[in-house]
Amino acid sequence: MPTTTSMAYALFMQLLLVEDELEIQDFLKTSLADAGYEVDVAADGVTAEKFASTKVYDGLIVDLGLPDQDGIDLILRLRRLGVSSPVMILSARRSVDDRVAGLEQGGDDYLTKPFALAELLARLRNLLKRNAAAGASPTVLQVGDLELDLLRRRASRGGEVLNLSPQEFVLLEYLCRHAGRVVTRSMLLAEVWGMRIQPDTNVVDVHIYRLRGKVDTEGREPLIKTLRGVGYVLKDR
Amino acid sequence: MSSRIDNKRLHSAAWRISLWATLAFALGTSLVFAGLHQFVASDIQRRSDAWLSGEIGTLGDVAERTPKDRLYQRVVGEVAELASREVPNKSQDTSHENESVFFLQAGPAGPAKLWVGKGDGTANLAAIRASQVVPGVPFHLNVKGFRLPFRVVASRIDDGSFIYLGLSERDELRVLRDLRVRFLSLGLLIVLFGFGIVFYTTRRMLGHVREITEAASRIGESDLSRRVPTTEYNDEIGQLSRTLNRMLDRIESSVHQLHTITDSLAHDLRSPLTAIRGKLEVSLSEGGQSAQGEPMIVSAIEELDRLAEFLNASLDVAEARADALRLTRSEIDLDEMMRVMVDLYEPGMSERGLRVQLRSGGSVRVFADAALVHRAVANLLDNELKHLPASCTVAIYLQMERGEAVLTVEDDGPGFAAEVQGAMFEQRVKGRGSSGHGLGLAFVEAVARAHGGTVTASNRVEGGARLVITLPCAPESQEQPGQTAAAVAG
Repeated sequence: MPTTTSMAYALFMQLLLVEDELEIQDFLKTSLADAGYEVDVAADGVTAEKFASTKVYDGLIVDLGLPDQDGIDLILRLRRLGVSSPVMILSARRSVDDRVAGLEQGGDDYLTKPFALAELLARLRNLLKRNAAAGASPTVLQVGDLELDLLRRRASRGGEVLNLSPQEFVLLEYLCRHAGRVVTRSMLLAEVWGMRIQPDTNVVDVHIYRLRGKVDTEGREPLIKTLRGVGYVLKDR
Repeated sequence: MSSRIDNKRLHSAAWRISLWATLAFALGTSLVFAGLHQFVASDIQRRSDAWLSGEIGTLGDVAERTPKDRLYQRVVGEVAELASREVPNKSQDTSHENESVFFLQAGPAGPAKLWVGKGDGTANLAAIRASQVVPGVPFHLNVKGFRLPFRVVASRIDDGSFIYLGLSERDELRVLRDLRVRFLSLGLLIVLFGFGIVFYTTRRMLGHVREITEAASRIGESDLSRRVPTTEYNDEIGQLSRTLNRMLDRIESSVHQLHTITDSLAHDLRSPLTAIRGKLEVSLSEGGQSAQGEPMIVSAIEELDRLAEFLNASLDVAEARADALRLTRSEIDLDEMMRVMVDLYEPGMSERGLRVQLRSGGSVRVFADAALVHRAVANLLDNELKHLPASCTVAIYLQMERGEAVLTVEDDGPGFAAEVQGAMFEQRVKGRGSSGHGLGLAFVEAVARAHGGTVTASNRVEGGARLVITLPCAPESQEQPGQTAAAVAG
């Protein structure tokens, strides 16, 4: 019942990367392969369609600015062809247009360029996970000696109850659900506070800092780790 | 050269307009004249006929009463002679007075019994006998040897013979001819004059248009700060030039905006890029793997993140300024949103020794783009967080006023610096001590405007800054389907 997570689940996951810019194609392919994904690369919509019709992918990464067609049209056509895998949309356009917002509502996600690789990997895991385990949801989350009782909204560490505010509990819950994986500030803002904002202040860090003060008290193994320039990760080793 | 100008003039709109206007004018006056001519002609004829009828009556009387002796001819001749002097429409010139009237008495056959007038009257009698005569009704008579026709009236007298009184239509035709000559010359004069006026005014008007065209082409070629000439009149041409100038204002400001953005982008990108490059170079030369290399790389990444964020903010503001923000509206509760915001910012604030309070009178619903409003409010709170000295308080009030959501953010800090007052919503305007890019308030203003709201910034009397954002409230109790949901369905 407790969710013990590791990087292993990413193994054998098949991804289709649709991106025409060679530089980005290259570094994404390498990084995704390093993260344990098997990646097919299509440089245009037609190739992408061919790939998608011969093989079932766990996820798609689609750049909107393709040489032969609009990425959104490609996604919609693939959906009509019965491809239901979640899509990570990459866009150089800043303002997200309605259609992207629409796809996002449908369970897909988007990132605007430039993006941090860690952000892409984190969101991708999130996206694939959400798709894979939409079924049973646990009532207790456990990471090391940290235990979260989701029904009673109570967190404890080594049997000792932590005095968390409701907001802090939600934050910790999110970190626990993604234990072992990097979560970025913008993911936290979007998922915990429900906002797609990019504050140029350290508001999120202060929340984490406070939470850390309550969870990683003196004498305990620190669970919440900071990855500078990327985000945070909660892990027990 | 001159033929080229003539050709140009012939093709000018002024020429065509004047030509058509003149044509219409001439046609109109001709119609009026034709009517007048008709009226005058019939009136003259009516008078001649009245005179003829009156005189024939008198003459008939005289002819009947006068004994048919030697004197008869003389008496009736005298009377006829007398009558001819009272001819209507008579000209001053009396030299041919006998030509204008004739008197004739004749039976159904045989020669004339009595003749008064020019010539011997045989031609007249022949002409009369050739035409059908009804006593008392005047008729036209063309007589051989006379250039002009006569108007003749007949009357029957007791002895069975007829007397005829004829009046030459010479005077009548002369009057009409005079009328025609005068009218034609006058009409020609008027038409020419009218043509001149129309040509002059249209040329003048179209001259303005040409000036506008020339100015516009000069503007198109070189200088956007020029304006087309305006007239003091509020006519179509004045409106045209004013409209053009307004359009030019907008274009110039857009272009100016673009220049500002490119300039500032260049400025704001160069130094961070240099710094990032330097850091990466240093870490590379240190061997990449060394302990000093990593913080360098991390800070380079952070720098890049800031750059990307700045780029986004600049473009957002530019887009908003150009009124090109795309809104994905949904109904949002500002009260709920502000609670989450304050919850998010409170730890950061208290970390810096600031207090934050939210006073809200309950749910305030607006129909707005949530992401943009979130970012606008986050901008405001980021501003407070960055610029307020410790131990200040940020007070946020949310209420509904006259169908508008009013969000007030005030603090008891130093307030807005004097040098930025009045230009706070301008891009790149920032306080002296500010480390930001000066985009925050410009973005807030742009977002509010895109939603049909306003932002006002001022310094409080008690000290500190106050920002008031208003947004139109969502229509009451209305199920908003939301564009995003619609997009999914589509």
